[in-house]
Amino acid sequence: VTACKDFDLLLPLHAAGALDPAEAGRVEAHLAACAACRAEAARDAEALSLAKLPPPTEAERRALEGVPRRAAAALHRADRRRFGWKRVGAAIAVAAAALLAILAPGLLHNDPPAPPPQVALVQEAERWEVPDPETMWEEAGVLDLGASSTSDDDATDVALAALDL
Amino acid sequence: MGDDERDRPGLRVVPGGLGAARREEDALVLGFLLGDDAAFGELFRRHQALVLAIVRRYARSPDDAADLVQRTFLRAFEAARRSLRGGPRSAVPFRRWLVRVAVNLAKNHRRDALRVVRAPVEAAEAAAAEPAAPDALLRREREARMREAVLRLPRRQREVLTLRIDAELPFAEIAEALGTTENAAKVSFHHATRALRAALAEDEP
Repeated sequence: VTACKDFDLLLPLHAAGALDPAEAGRVEAHLAACAACRAEAARDAEALSLAKLPPPTEAERRALEGVPRRAAAALHRADRRRFGWKRVGAAIAVAAAALLAILAPGLLHNDPPAPPPQVALVQEAERWEVPDPETMWEEAGVLDLGASSTSDDDATDVALAALDL
Repeated sequence: MGDDERDRPGLRVVPGGLGAARREEDALVLGFLLGDDAAFGELFRRHQALVLAIVRRYARSPDDAADLVQRTFLRAFEAARRSLRGGPRSAVPFRRWLVRVAVNLAKNHRRDALRVVRAPVEAAEAAAAEPAAPDALLRREREARMREAVLRLPRRQREVLTLRIDAELPFAEIAEALGTTENAAKVSFHHATRALRAALAEDEP
């Protein structure tokens, strides 16, 4: 037994209560007149009703009680970690600037035909910028959950895994 | 897939309604990010049933389910924080983050086969070892077989099916959360229902 072609897609949606009133009315009018579709609709309804989970148990509801407090604390901890990295970055920047202030004058007054390795190091140091952890985080692109990016599920998984606090 | 409230702000002229609810929700997210823990409590109260409904099929115990709920909220907040930083154009409603994150966490959780052996529902049923009428026992067995059949469905079909029958989301919201069209989601639901019926018929020839 199969459903009439026009109603094949609609019957499971009807069984799941997902049709708007006009569509539901059209399906019900058809069901009243078509035994084959009535049988199909009954099988859909049975399978969906067996597959649906029962309401949450008391134990499941109780287990949720401590979640808001724990989750808020975890988020605050993550904030503190983030802020801590910023402070480490700032300390490195200050130390690097102090080192340059000491080394740079002596090195720059030398004018050798080939720059000694220290100059190359200092030049390298001058070009180097203290990475901002926030920017690194964003540039890494691991958190790029676009507004409609769920088609690339693996990328989403990586992004979500990176968020694991 | 468009974000109606974002793409057509001029159409939202009536106070209240979806636009106001969305703004209120954004304000709660922002409030929590600025340190207001009460805002988190309110967001949790509003959405805990939805998130639990999505993840509990994959949890092995009530505590495991609560852990999945907590992780969902944490990750959704991180995602919301980033999307708020990108300005209103990139803002995604918090509820949509929750659904997306819950679906993804559930999918990853499912990979650990041990975890899906006993859903909290089944554990609770086993614990309540009261004598049941033969009809009730038969129904429980059939429900357990259907739950296994749900977990064997192809991923997209399983996601659409459970977002509808467990979380009771409208298809428009299911499509938005999964990054697909409403019609494609309905077709997936149709295939899922057919697959469950076939599994039922196999068990009971």
